[in-house]
Amino acid sequence: MTRRRSAGKLIGQILFWILIIAIFIYLIFPFYWAFISALKTQAELIRTPATFWPEEPTLRNFRAVFQNPGFIRGLGNSIIVAGSVTVLSLVVGSFAGFALGKLRFRGRSPSLYVILAMTMFPQIAVLAGLYAVIRVLGMPALPSLVLSYMIFTLPFTVWVLTAFFKGLPISLLQSAQVDGASTFQTFTKILLPLTAPALVTTGLLAFIQAWNEYLFALTFTSISPAARTVPVAMALFAGQVAREEPFGEIMAGAIVVTVPLIALVLIFQNRIVAGLTAGAVKG
Amino acid sequence: MAVKTRARGPSALARGEERTALWLLLPSFLIIAVVALYPLGRVVMSSFTNERFAAGVELRGGQFIGFENYRQLLSLTLRSVPQRLDAEGQPMFADGEPVYEHPRLFLRGLDTPRAYDAVSVFDLFGNRYVLGASSARFIRAVWDTLVFTVSSVALETVLGMIIALTLTAKFIGRGVMRAAMLVPWAIITVVSARIWEWMLQPTRAGFFNAFLTEIGVIDRSIAFFQTAALQVPAMVMIDVWKTTPFMALLLLAGLSTIPTELYEAAEVDGANPVRRFFSITLPLLTPTLAVALIFRTLDALRVFDLFQVVYGEARYSMASYAYYQLIAARNVGMSSAASVIIFIVIFTFAILYIRALGVERDD
Repeated sequence: MTRRRSAGKLIGQILFWILIIAIFIYLIFPFYWAFISALKTQAELIRTPATFWPEEPTLRNFRAVFQNPGFIRGLGNSIIVAGSVTVLSLVVGSFAGFALGKLRFRGRSPSLYVILAMTMFPQIAVLAGLYAVIRVLGMPALPSLVLSYMIFTLPFTVWVLTAFFKGLPISLLQSAQVDGASTFQTFTKILLPLTAPALVTTGLLAFIQAWNEYLFALTFTSISPAARTVPVAMALFAGQVAREEPFGEIMAGAIVVTVPLIALVLIFQNRIVAGLTAGAVKG
Repeated sequence: MAVKTRARGPSALARGEERTALWLLLPSFLIIAVVALYPLGRVVMSSFTNERFAAGVELRGGQFIGFENYRQLLSLTLRSVPQRLDAEGQPMFADGEPVYEHPRLFLRGLDTPRAYDAVSVFDLFGNRYVLGASSARFIRAVWDTLVFTVSSVALETVLGMIIALTLTAKFIGRGVMRAAMLVPWAIITVVSARIWEWMLQPTRAGFFNAFLTEIGVIDRSIAFFQTAALQVPAMVMIDVWKTTPFMALLLLAGLSTIPTELYEAAEVDGANPVRRFFSITLPLLTPTLAVALIFRTLDALRVFDLFQVVYGEARYSMASYAYYQLIAARNVGMSSAASVIIFIVIFTFAILYIRALGVERDD
């Protein structure tokens, strides 16, 4: 009896580990495949059947990627755009988050609902209109990307920061006001430093979203190729040989743009998970 | 709520607070007005015009044409296709199967007010019918996007649930697994499209053809992206890989809020794991699941990156159709009408979900 139960337990354990390993392989394999493909020579890349391990690993593809001016410019543009988007949405978002989370005023609930509704906004619905606005304003491509990315980073930032500000004790605000501080001083001097963890979380998520964005980037840089960001550069990647898609270099590029982001995500793992699940889970 | 009662009185402090609040909100609302509300209004307006981009980027003022763009995008027609007749006027058969006339003959005739293209041809009760649309590519894009959305959201919910339930167990390496879950999520969608494009190459240089041949499942390489029936499933496959971790993370967070005492009590009562899942886990997880489903469905409906990168103009999602109408065809009015239709579809889904699942957000 006991032997049968322990045998059943062992089988259960084995199945459990097979499941774990299967999930792990599923999640990681495409990344692994991109990595080994980036290390292969051109001859090995087009050989059939594909090899599962590079026979003579080479850094040629990585070297080619770093000598590709379009790719390097894309990296620079993406860092500028995603960085500016992060800063702008944190500044503007923390203002709004403080007002919505801690201050009492008429129109507070409607304001919150407008911002929440914005998170469901499909970008494609404003594409033609936004394109026209940018043409009329004569804005260069990079600033116009920063401004237009607010459409998805701002609502999220405001939403999370509002919840965070609301969680701070109201007594902080009251005692500062008793001491004669203005509301704005209370915000910048006392409450803002306390929100640092939430700012890191929302800032990271805003950065990643901006880094990832493709539709606006593709549209607004269509007549100024110098302003292309990483996703556009990766989508339009062209090698030295025309017509044939240089998948070795594309995979090397994929690794180059992904590794820093994975590092960032792993360092701030807990914060990111907390930020992603904020609002989705009550309790 | 001491503050609330104080705010009712017109004290200087309360008025000051109100003024500060409005100043603090001003930048957010200015930005929202410039990047969302005004452009949306402009899109709605131009969807009723025949506005186009002329000579590069200059907008040529369009004329008001009412609902013509919408009619052009959404007009459908259903025609029956007769059997072909031979020289004696008898219905033709080949190998015992009836031979039909070409469906196109019945979509573009003198009696039709506009030109229709075939969306699908089907047999019903021994008759053949053809469904025509004046913008067959748009109707196909809507259909493909709906199929894509339903299948990818369903698959990633099931997979996400399996992963989340597995990760609630305590085991060595759990931290590594949680970290691994963030890898697909952190990869740029365009980049993941290109990685999968490479893995799904039509020759055995691609991983899938090499692997499937190796283990003997197939004996000839499959052209995943060139075979019409596999085009949408391939997109689903890529999307599921990229977004399942997000689903699993949300569900995992929801699972962690369920008190363990419930499971212990159920175990004492002799409920088996399946029973425990359906009577404890699933009901308590419903709010989380609802929010996750809304997020993912709305996201899947606006899919653009995957379709545009892999197929370009060979196969459209709703969003990539609107994009190409704007950028390639320079047809601002038509693109705007398509955008408005997408907006309405997404809005309808959001409302249906919120009604059906009874999700309420407290502010």
